[in-house]
Formats: sequence, C-alpha cells, structure tokens
Amino acid sequence: MQVLLVFIVVFVLSVLASSRWLLQWGRFFFLAQLSASGLLFLVFGALVGPHALGLLDVSALDSARPLLSLSLGVCGLLVGINLEPHILRRLPLRAFVASAVQSGAAFTAVCVPMAILLWINTPLSPSGVGGAAVMLGAAASVSSAHFAVLWYRSGRMEHLRGLSVALVAMLDDMFGLAVLALALLFASATSPALGLGLVALATLLGLTCGALIAYLIHGVEDGAELTAILLGGAALVAGAAAFLRVSGLLAGVMCGATLALVGGTQATRAFRALGKVERPTYLLLLFLIGAHLDATDWKAWAVLPVFVALRFLGKVVGGRMATTAAKGVLRFPRELGYALVAQGGLSLCMAIEYLLLVPRADSQLVFGVVVIAALVNEVLGARTIGLSTARPTRPSPRPLPSREAA
Amino acid sequence: MIRDAIRLGLLMALLLAITALTGIRSGLGSGVVLAGGALLLTGIFAGKVAAQTGLPRLTGYLLIGIVVGPFALGFIPKEGVAGLDLVKGLAVSLIALTAGTELRLGLIRRVGKEVARVGALVSLVVFVVIIVAMLLGRDLLPFMREMTWPQAVAVSALLASVVVSFSPTVTIAILQETRAKGAFSEFLLAIVIIGDLFVMLVFALAAGVTKALFGGRFELGVVVGGIGWEIIGSVLVGAAIGFGALLYMKRVGREIPLFLSGLCFVMAELGIHLHLSPLLLSLAAGATIANLDEHIAQRIHHAAEQAGLPVFALFFAAAGASLHLDVLLVVGPVAVALVLLRGISLYLSARAFGPKRAVIRENLWMGLISQAGVTFGLAALIGRSFPAFGADMETLIIAMVTLHELVGPLLTRRALANAGEIREHARSGAH
Repeated sequence: MQVLLVFIVVFVLSVLASSRWLLQWGRFFFLAQLSASGLLFLVFGALVGPHALGLLDVSALDSARPLLSLSLGVCGLLVGINLEPHILRRLPLRAFVASAVQSGAAFTAVCVPMAILLWINTPLSPSGVGGAAVMLGAAASVSSAHFAVLWYRSGRMEHLRGLSVALVAMLDDMFGLAVLALALLFASATSPALGLGLVALATLLGLTCGALIAYLIHGVEDGAELTAILLGGAALVAGAAAFLRVSGLLAGVMCGATLALVGGTQATRAFRALGKVERPTYLLLLFLIGAHLDATDWKAWAVLPVFVALRFLGKVVGGRMATTAAKGVLRFPRELGYALVAQGGLSLCMAIEYLLLVPRADSQLVFGVVVIAALVNEVLGARTIGLSTARPTRPSPRPLPSREAA
Repeated sequence: MIRDAIRLGLLMALLLAITALTGIRSGLGSGVVLAGGALLLTGIFAGKVAAQTGLPRLTGYLLIGIVVGPFALGFIPKEGVAGLDLVKGLAVSLIALTAGTELRLGLIRRVGKEVARVGALVSLVVFVVIIVAMLLGRDLLPFMREMTWPQAVAVSALLASVVVSFSPTVTIAILQETRAKGAFSEFLLAIVIIGDLFVMLVFALAAGVTKALFGGRFELGVVVGGIGWEIIGSVLVGAAIGFGALLYMKRVGREIPLFLSGLCFVMAELGIHLHLSPLLLSLAAGATIANLDEHIAQRIHHAAEQAGLPVFALFFAAAGASLHLDVLLVVGPVAVALVLLRGISLYLSARAFGPKRAVIRENLWMGLISQAGVTFGLAALIGRSFPAFGADMETLIIAMVTLHELVGPLLTRRALANAGEIREHARSGAH
C-alpha cells in the first residue's frame, strides 16, 4: 500500500509541477525554481520519508529499491547518449582543458579540506576518508547549465555564451563521473584492487549492453517498438548492475555513450524516444532520493555551509581559470563560475549511488550534504546567473540641472 | 527472421555471461529489474520470431519466458520473477481497462442474453464432466483416496470450478495482437468475461461447502456476501474510478501515460486490498468511460495500445518464467487427461449450445481453451485455504494451466483466423 502512496504522490506532484497557477504563486517562495527543476519532488520525498513524517518506512524504501535502480539506469543512459561523440570529436583540446580546469578546481577546493575535516572528526580508515572526500569532490565538480540555457533562450544572455556554458557543464559530467569511479574504487570494496575490479565490471557491462542495444535497435522503424527495446535495455543494464552490486549509474552512462558512439542516426532517435520517459523517471528518482534523506542529521547541516562555500569558491576560481584557458575558443559570460553554481541532477544520482554501494555510517552524511546542498545551490544559482553577465557598475554622468542646461 | 533470431541469441549469450558472473560475486543484489529487462527484451524478439513463423507473438513471449526462466536455463533468478508481481497486476489492469473501453451498452444489449445463455451452459457441462471424472478416477489421485464421498464430491466441485475458468487476459491480448474485429471477436470476449463471473460464483460456493465438510463452518451469508462484494463491489468501485478518470481527462488532461500507469496501479492494488477482482474493476472503469464519452475512451485506448508491446511482452514472458516445469513432470499424466477432457467438453458443449451462426458455434471452443492469471490466483487460494489437500490440488492446477498456456493462444488465433476476423497485416506477422 505504501508503494501505491509513492505512485499517487509522484503523480499528483507531476501534475502540480506543470501547473501555471502554482508556478506563479510559488515565485515568492523559491517554489517556482524548485518546481521547474523538479527538486520540489526531493523535498516531498524527504517529508514523507522515514526520517520525517514516516508515511514511507524503511521497508517501503527497500521494496522501492528496484524502481530506484531502474531510474538510475535510465538517467545514466540518457547522460551517456547526451555526451554526443560527434560534437566531442570536433571540439578543440582547449575546450576540454577549460572544462577540466573549472571542475578540477571545484573538486580540489572541496575534496582536500573535506578530507582533512573527515580525518580529524571521524574514525574512518584512510581509504574510507579518501572515498568520502573524493565523493564530495565529485558532487561539487559537476554543475547544471539549465539557468544559462533559460537565460539565452529568453535573450538575456548572448546565445554563443549560453551554449559555451552548456558545453562546459556537459563536459564536467564526464569529469564528475570519472571521480565518482575513483570514489567507488576506494570505498565500495574491502580493498582498492577489488574496487577497481568492480568499477571495471560496471564499465564492461555498460559497454557490452550499449553495443548490444545499438544492434537491437538497428533498422527498427516503429517508435513504440524502439521505446520498448530501449526501456528493456535500460532495465537490463541497470538490473544487471544492481544484481551484481556494481554501479548502475556508471554502467548506464557507459551504455549510453557506447550507443551514441556506434548507434549512428538511431542513437538520435533513441535519445528522443527515451526523452518521453525522461521527466517522469527523473521526478520519481528525485522523490526516492528525497525519501532516503535524513534531514535530522545535524552533522550534515554542520558540514553543509562549508561544502557550499568551498564549492562556490572553487567554481568562481575555476571559472576564471577556464575563461583564460579557453580564450579564443569559447566565449563565456564575464563570470563563468556564477553560471555554474546550480548542482543539477547528476550530483544527486552520484550521491544515491554512493549511499547504495557504500554501506557505512559516513555514507549517509556524504549523501545528506550533497542532497541539501543541491537545494541550496539551486536557489543560489538562480540569483548568481544574473551576476554572471553583469558588467561592473561605472558611475554614470550626473545629469545637469535643467536651469544650468538652459 | 534470421536477424531477429540472432538478436535473441545474443541476448541469451549476455544473460549467460551475467549468470556466470554470479559465481565470482558473493552477496548478490535484487534481481527484479534484471528479470524485468531480460524478459522484456527476450520477449520482444521471441515474439517477432514467433510471428514470422506463423505463431502468435504471445506464444513466443511465453516460450522464451519458460526457456530463460528459473525452471529451465535459470538465467533469471526466481526471486526476480516473483518480484514482478507488481508489474503483472499493472499489466492485467491495463489490458482490462483497454478492453473495457470497447464494452459499450449497445454491444451488451446485442449479445448479452445469448452470451449469458451459452456461457452458463458451456460452463455447466464442463463443470459436471470434470466432477464425474474426478469421482470416477479418485483412486488415481492420492489426495482424494482417504476422503469420504461427500468430501470427495465437494473437492471435485472445487477443482471443477477452477478447471472451468477461462482467460480474459490471453483473449484480449490475442485480439489486440491480431487487431481482430467482428461478431466472433465480440462474442468470444464477452463469453470469457461472463464465464469468469460464473467461476467466481461457483468457486466461492464450492469453497464454502468444502470448508464445512473439512471441519469448518459453512455460513451462507458470508459466502453470498463475499461473492456479492467481489462482483457488484468491483463493478461499482470500477465505475466510480472510471468516472473519476473521465473527470481528470476532461479537466486536466495532462501527463496521460503517467496518469494511466497510476490508474492501473491503483486498480491493481485496490483489487488486492479490498478483495475485489482487479479484472472486473478495470473492465468496469473502461466501460464507464466508453459509455459516457467515446472520444476520451478512444484517447485512452490509443495511449494504452502504444504501451501494448512492452506490457504484453513483459507480462506473458514473466508468466512463462513462472510456469513450474518441475510440477508438470510430477503430475503430468493426470493433468494431460484433465486438459483433454476439458477440451472435449468445451468442443461438444460449444457446438451443442453455441449460437446459431455457424462460424461462432464451430470455432468458439478453441477460443475458450486458454487459462492464465485468474486460474493461478484460484489455485493459490486453494493451496492456502485447504491444508489437507490444497498443495496437491494447486500443483495439479498449475500443471494444467501450463499446458493450456502453451496451446491456448495458438487455438484462439486459429479460431479468429477461421472466423476471418484477423486483419491482413497482423495475419502476415508484420508489425
């Protein structure tokens, strides 16, 4: 019956999320931003979860685990297909360098101080501290360009600059996922060698499934059949990863990237077909992620300001370094870092993946910090996007008094 | 066809590799999503191969489910298949909701009386024949040897009430797959639904009497109340849900795929928790919508048809994976005898009491052979309710359903083809 409740809540929220009336009314309480990005589902999930109202208990969350695995697989597949190899091949090296510099700066700004903080305050082993700090760094390194996209579509940001921000955000997904793999390597197994084996297994699984799905959809004309095969493929890769207890997100991304690489024109159709289920899947995932959040954990709230501040610093400094690195190749807004403050959904996927694969007490802390920070950064990002394009104010010439003018 | 067979082969090779990896990985996770993905993909391609060889897609779904399932090659973990019950419930509701959108009052007025007459007579003949056969052959069935005569009669009636049951799910699936339309299709659909109402009624009575004869109490009021609630309650609650759905479609009309999934999920769960029939509930909801607003019914029908391929492939492949082949080996001969007896009874009674139109009278029996979800449900109920003989009887029924699931879809398709109601592109197997 609790699963039924989840479904009803998700459905009602989904309808409300597309209500204009609610969006207008919610403008005053940041609800519009949270609703548009779907993060309102995260909040509702946290409210009905076992750590708040308790409408969903721990056993209900356990029974919803297959849904969570499936949603992660679908999201990973979409991220992978979205990497678009034909665009990546044409990019100059400096674009990659710029992206790596900005995400690397955010990663370093968070990972190193957090490692020290965790080392001093928790009884974790060196590899445990390494894993948790790297995971926090990975979540900090990724960003969402949806505000930049909204701004250039509404004419408030130059089209080319908006696209450049979107490109950098797409590339930093790759960086973030590579770092997630590193975090899992340290933390998800008893030894780094075994961790490496599990990450390799997830990658291999994704590659194999991606190639197989590309072959399965080759020549399929019917849209409904294409969607069915893709959904089956997403379930296969996510399910195999969940069954073998390896990262479904990494496997999904590798699967999507392989499909994009070898799928030809069918990959574009696949992306469009999966796009139909993208929003419901994403909203369901956010709801389930929210339900796993323990908002009463004071440690997470204590670490949160440090994480947000360090990430902000890293993004601003990294953004300036990236602007220098990409000079003459990409045109960024004046302050690239301000346009990349929003964390986006991938960091949440990474956090829940870490929580599922690393069954330790500190995982809940890492998860809580990343999830609450995503909400804070979403609200913050809506404010800083305006600052990213603003020119420094110059004193305007004082208007002459009319009598003097005369 | 070769390309689809190769695709199916590659999928099975991947599943084999995943199964092999489980040997080196200790402490496995949940296999539910893996089961869902594997059954959906293999189901789709097995269905295509089946269609290209002239078989119903549904047979392909069932066969591949059996092959990759836990009782044959074991590529799909047993608990993974069990975890798909939620999906199965959702699929039954979606299938029935879609069928309900075709149940208009005009159709019920046109064929209602005839269907009720034929359905009752055919069911009665099968019911009596199976009771007599069980009583004559009670020495062959170890669980009946020690029973007194009244007990043996009641248990035979209980088994016979289950053996009579038809499969609306399989019938609807085949009708949708072949896009069949016409007098025979209408009659067949109506009779399998009415037949199941008869089964519910007789099963509840037989179960009440059997319980009393095995030391329990027979309370007629409770039995009648239970049946009334299951049938009338399902129709009333279904109509209310249909009305609500209609209001949603008119006033909101957004997120229709998500809405339909949610609706079917609600009906499946309500059926379980309120002791209603999910099938009747969904049929009543669909029929309410169809009779109040034809345009919206068409929109729902279209949206549900879009989801038809994955729903059917997953549902029937999962049904195939759940079939207990080991059981078939144990009680095979008795099950085969009962299947043959049921088939012959259906053939003779349908020909004797069937409608005047020869095309319906001659082909009806083939459409009535299938058995699936409802029968499984009743078998499980017997297993739980009667500790003295329930487990043995459940085994026997499961073996019968396994056989019926394999031959039923083939015969239903053949009946539709004989009636000339299969649309050309479906007949050729092209999708």
